[in-house]
Amino acid sequence: MAQPLSTAIDTAFKSNIVPDQEYLLQGSILDTSVEHLLHRLRGLCDNVDSGPEQFQDHEMCFTIRTTPTPLSLRVRRALDHTDMPWQLRYIGQPEYGDAKRPTIIRSSIDIGCSASVVEFLTELGCRMDFEYLARGYMFRKGRMKITVAKIVKTNPNKSQDSMQLISESYLVELSVLAPRGQDAIAEDMRSFAEQLRPLVNLDKVDYKRLAHGPP
Amino acid sequence: MQREEKQLDLALDAIITRVNDLKQSISNMIVKLEMEHETLNWPTFLDNFALMSGQLTALTKVLTHDKCPALRNLAVLPIQLSQERDTELLRITEQRVPQFSHDLAPDYLRTKLEPDVEQRMMQLEIKAGNMTFDMAQKQVSAFNKVMNHVWDIVSKAREEWESESGSRTGPQQTTSIGDTHLLVSAVSAGKSLKMPVPQGQPGPQGMMGQGRPGSGPPGGPVGMINPGQQQMGPMGKVPSGIKTNIKAASQIHPYNR
Repeated sequence: MAQPLSTAIDTAFKSNIVPDQEYLLQGSILDTSVEHLLHRLRGLCDNVDSGPEQFQDHEMCFTIRTTPTPLSLRVRRALDHTDMPWQLRYIGQPEYGDAKRPTIIRSSIDIGCSASVVEFLTELGCRMDFEYLARGYMFRKGRMKITVAKIVKTNPNKSQDSMQLISESYLVELSVLAPRGQDAIAEDMRSFAEQLRPLVNLDKVDYKRLAHGPP
Repeated sequence: MQREEKQLDLALDAIITRVNDLKQSISNMIVKLEMEHETLNWPTFLDNFALMSGQLTALTKVLTHDKCPALRNLAVLPIQLSQERDTELLRITEQRVPQFSHDLAPDYLRTKLEPDVEQRMMQLEIKAGNMTFDMAQKQVSAFNKVMNHVWDIVSKAREEWESESGSRTGPQQTTSIGDTHLLVSAVSAGKSLKMPVPQGQPGPQGMMGQGRPGSGPPGGPVGMINPGQQQMGPMGKVPSGIKTNIKAASQIHPYNR
C-alpha cells in the first residue's frame, strides 16, 4: 500500500503482468470480397448476435527527433464516439523473428488521454508526420481483435468529401495485447488466420523489406 | 456336342462367380445396415450401391456375351422331388433349402411371374391396349411436358451450380499482396499518406511532405516552438467534418502566438 506508484509500475513490469506486447498479423482484402470476409468473421467471432461493430477512427502520427532513431507516437480518437477519451500510443519496432515465430511482436503502450494531447505533444516538440482515417469493422474472438478497415487519406486543403482512398482493399489486422512471453496466444492467432484462408492471407509483414522494397 | 457342354459349363461358372460377388456385396450391405446404422454415412452407403451396380453391369455383360449359350433355350427338368432332408442341398444353399420338395421346387424353378402378379400385368396391358390413339397421344404429350419442365429445372440448377463452382475454383482474387504492403506501409510509416509537396511554396507544408524526421533540422538550430508552428498549418486545415479537431487546432493558436 505504502509503496510509491513508480515502484508499483516497475514491479508490475518486472513480473511481466503488463500487457505491453502486441502480437500482430496483417493482410488485406479487395473491396469486392469484403462481404465474404465479414460474413465469415461473423460466423467465427464472439460478437455474433450484436453484429459487426463499426468504427471510425482518426489517427495522427507524431514524431520527435531523437537520436539515433526518431521516436513516433500515435494519437487516435473515435470519430463516431466523440465522448470517448483519446488514445496516445507508443508502438515499438516490430520484431519479425525467425520462420518459426507465428506472428510479429512489437511493444505497444496505450494510454487514455484528453483532446489536449495534440497541443501537449506539439509543445513537447513533436510534429505531425502523417494522419489518416480508419473506417471499418471490428470483431472479437477471445483475446483476439480483428479489424477490417479502409484507410482513408485526409486532405486538409479540401472538404471531407474529397478524402482519398489509398487502395482498393481493406486492411485486415489480427492482434492481441499480452504480457511479455505469452507466446501461446501467437499459435492461436496463427490457427485463426488459417481459417480465413484463402480469402485473406494474414501473415507477418516484414517491415524492413517493406521500407526498402519497391513502393 | 461335348464342345457345347464345355462352353455351357464355362459360362455357368462365370455367371455363378458374378452372382456370388453380387450376393456378397448385398449381404455386406445388409450387415452394415444392421450393425453400423448409427455410424454409417452417406458416402460409404452410396459407394456400396455403386459397387452393386457395377457388379450387375458385369453380370449383364457375361449374359449377353457371344460365347454364352442362349440360356432361355435350356430347360431345367426336376427329375425327383423328395420330402427327406438333404444335407448336401442344405450345404450348397447355405442352409436355405432343406429339401427339394413339391412345396419349394416350383418357387425355385419358376420362370414366370407369380399368378397374381401376372394377372395385374395382364390388366395393365389390356388397359393400355384399349386406349384410343388420341388419348395415348394426349398422355404422351402431357408426360413429355412434365419431363421437359423437370429437365429445364435440373439443367438450370446445374448451370447455376457449375458457374458458381467455376467461379469459385477459378482464379478469383480476393486478396492482393501489393495492397497489403501498401496499406501496411501507409499505416506504419505514412507512405502515400503524407502531404503532397505544394509547388513553389517552401513552407511548413513542404516540410511535412518531405518528411521523415531525422533528415536534419530544417533551418539551422530550430527551437522547440518552431516545429509547433510548422504543425499549425496542416492542423488548422483539417477537413471541416472533423469538428473536434478544429477545436483542438484553435486551441493551439493562442498558445503559439
